[in-house]
Amino acid sequence: MKLTETRPDQNGVIRKIGGDAHFMNRITAIGVTEGTAFQTVRNDRKMPVLLYLRETLIAVNRMDAERIEVEAQ
Amino acid sequence: MMNRIALLGQPNSGKSTVFNALTGSRQHVGNWPGKTVEKIDGYYTYKGTRFTVTDLPGSYGLSGNSDEEVITTEFIKSGQADLVCILVDASQLERSMYMAAEFAALDKPAVLLLNMMDVAKAQNKEIDHELLQKRLGIPVLPFTAADGKGYDGLRALFAAELEHPHKLTSVPELPEAAAASSGTSSDAVQAESEAKYRWIGEILDGVTRSGQKHHELSRRDRILLSPVLGKFACFGTILLGFLAAMVICFPLMGAGSMIPQLLNKPIASLLTSWNVHPWLVSIFSIILPNTLYFCIAMSGFVFGVNLVFGYLEEIGFLARAAYQFDGLLSGLGLQGKAICPILMGFGCTIGGTCGTRVMDNWGQRMLTMAVVWAVPCASIWTIIPVISSMFFTPLQTLFIIIGILLYVVVLMTVVSKVFGRRLVPESSRSGMIMELPPYHKPHWKHIFKEALLKAWDIFKRALRTVTLISLLFWVFSYSGTGNVADSLLYKVGTSIEPVTRVFGLGWRTFMGFITSAFAKEAVLGVLNAAFVGEGTVLDATFRSAFNVAADNAVLSQAMTDVVSKAEALAFMCACTFNIPCVMALSTTYRESHSLKWTARIAAFYVCGALILACIVYHIAALFF
Repeated sequence: MKLTETRPDQNGVIRKIGGDAHFMNRITAIGVTEGTAFQTVRNDRKMPVLLYLRETLIAVNRMDAERIEVEAQ
Repeated sequence: MMNRIALLGQPNSGKSTVFNALTGSRQHVGNWPGKTVEKIDGYYTYKGTRFTVTDLPGSYGLSGNSDEEVITTEFIKSGQADLVCILVDASQLERSMYMAAEFAALDKPAVLLLNMMDVAKAQNKEIDHELLQKRLGIPVLPFTAADGKGYDGLRALFAAELEHPHKLTSVPELPEAAAASSGTSSDAVQAESEAKYRWIGEILDGVTRSGQKHHELSRRDRILLSPVLGKFACFGTILLGFLAAMVICFPLMGAGSMIPQLLNKPIASLLTSWNVHPWLVSIFSIILPNTLYFCIAMSGFVFGVNLVFGYLEEIGFLARAAYQFDGLLSGLGLQGKAICPILMGFGCTIGGTCGTRVMDNWGQRMLTMAVVWAVPCASIWTIIPVISSMFFTPLQTLFIIIGILLYVVVLMTVVSKVFGRRLVPESSRSGMIMELPPYHKPHWKHIFKEALLKAWDIFKRALRTVTLISLLFWVFSYSGTGNVADSLLYKVGTSIEPVTRVFGLGWRTFMGFITSAFAKEAVLGVLNAAFVGEGTVLDATFRSAFNVAADNAVLSQAMTDVVSKAEALAFMCACTFNIPCVMALSTTYRESHSLKWTARIAAFYVCGALILACIVYHIAALFF
């Protein structure tokens, strides 16, 4: 499923990140890489998705969050 | 031997705190050649030796192709830095070590600063820095940048390392296929990043325990991050912050306003008794004390705003505000953080302008300043209702105010379209991907010191700009006889009246328009001088702050006799959307370090205001 489809407090693992090299650089530099465990903290309509990963609270705008495939637990 | 140290770190790593604490006021801000990225250099002396420090632009990594990342990589590669100090956030060690992993490939002498040890301790995180040092092969120093202690140790470490430098002995092993096409395909980037995090994992194994896996939002975050309530909470906090800034700077401004009052008469009578030419008397008794007052008022604002913003940024509030308003502002090409300076602009444009310091890069900052200029400041709201009530009914006045507010939104959009393309190129616009740092306890001493530093800096720099512009205004408005008709402004104004009429303005209202670019508070006084003939324009402008003696009833009578409703409407629009004031102009120049862009934006606002006046006048003339 997509990151944007996860529920708050749901745990999961990042599976696939789509996008060009520029986006890949930005998203991986902040810590989001394939295989990383995460927790969705907030996922509100029209707001960036808030996730907790590598001990950091990270906000990812919705358009980019659409490109992140996750496996939810 | 130059002894140049470069500071490298991700946003929120405390880089600028370390830089400011090391160099104090011995800083130089310029631009990297050919780029709209700030180059910040400073120096300090330790045991008789001079050390130069470069604050490299902040970014999360180095492999991207943003200006910041390219500049940083090139600078380090070129060997201009003799030592690189990598800052990492000890409370989020794994993630912030990514910068060290990126740096590793550059193979240059370095030290690692484990910053925010206080936060890490508060979270019960233990870090075996000696083991980390052994694994990396470079010195590792636990540190709390915002705490004044420890800087002697840091300076000593820098001195020792410049003598006997160390390089990283362990570097991430990058996949071969990725190394060949480094940074070009997204698969390669992905593989490289994974390799870097793998290396970080190996390095940190046994150095620190893995932290909590589950995050529970604090009560404060549950409010600030909720979609609706959070926006109101952010609004309220910024409003409170602005009020606090005003309370802080008010005594300073009050004291400043005493200067012209106290100095004007004694200087004037002293110089007159020495038979000094009246020209010089008016310069020394009116212009100079007022310039001093303007600059004190400005630095008072800068101090108050920096104190409040420094606090809000350090505790982590600004990141939350950015999260809340990113969607709204990204349409203008701005970051969510811009909400703070924009709201501050309703109070004072100077405050809003220096509030743009929180923006991530120069282009964003310049664009935010340009947008903040569109926001009508508190002074405008003291003159518009007065003028409007002379010509219109209260209900009409209300509609005029609503119209002005609606036009603010239009103007902001136009400004962001006109300047955004150059300042924040489409290719650099990307959706928000940012870290929301944990709430920090504020270090007041550090915030206070930094605010004081900025205020003093603005004061020194503004003195020159404001004096220059004041003198220019003086040349135009000086009148030997005290009669308006003997000033250059009158002569120029009346001779170009056929042109200003196109914009709906007679020479008197045009004079008011020119004044509104100088100081909004002065507009009523100048109108009084022009319409009623009481007092000189010079006195009206420079003493307006403490001498609002204009009798509104008399002015109203005199104005309505000569000015049509359509002209009044055009005049109000022109004044509101003109250059905010000479102090805002000067602050923008000082904050942006770009005369070119400040002039461009100023020209845009003057022309924009006149075009608006022209349109409003000709439409209104059909009705009234």
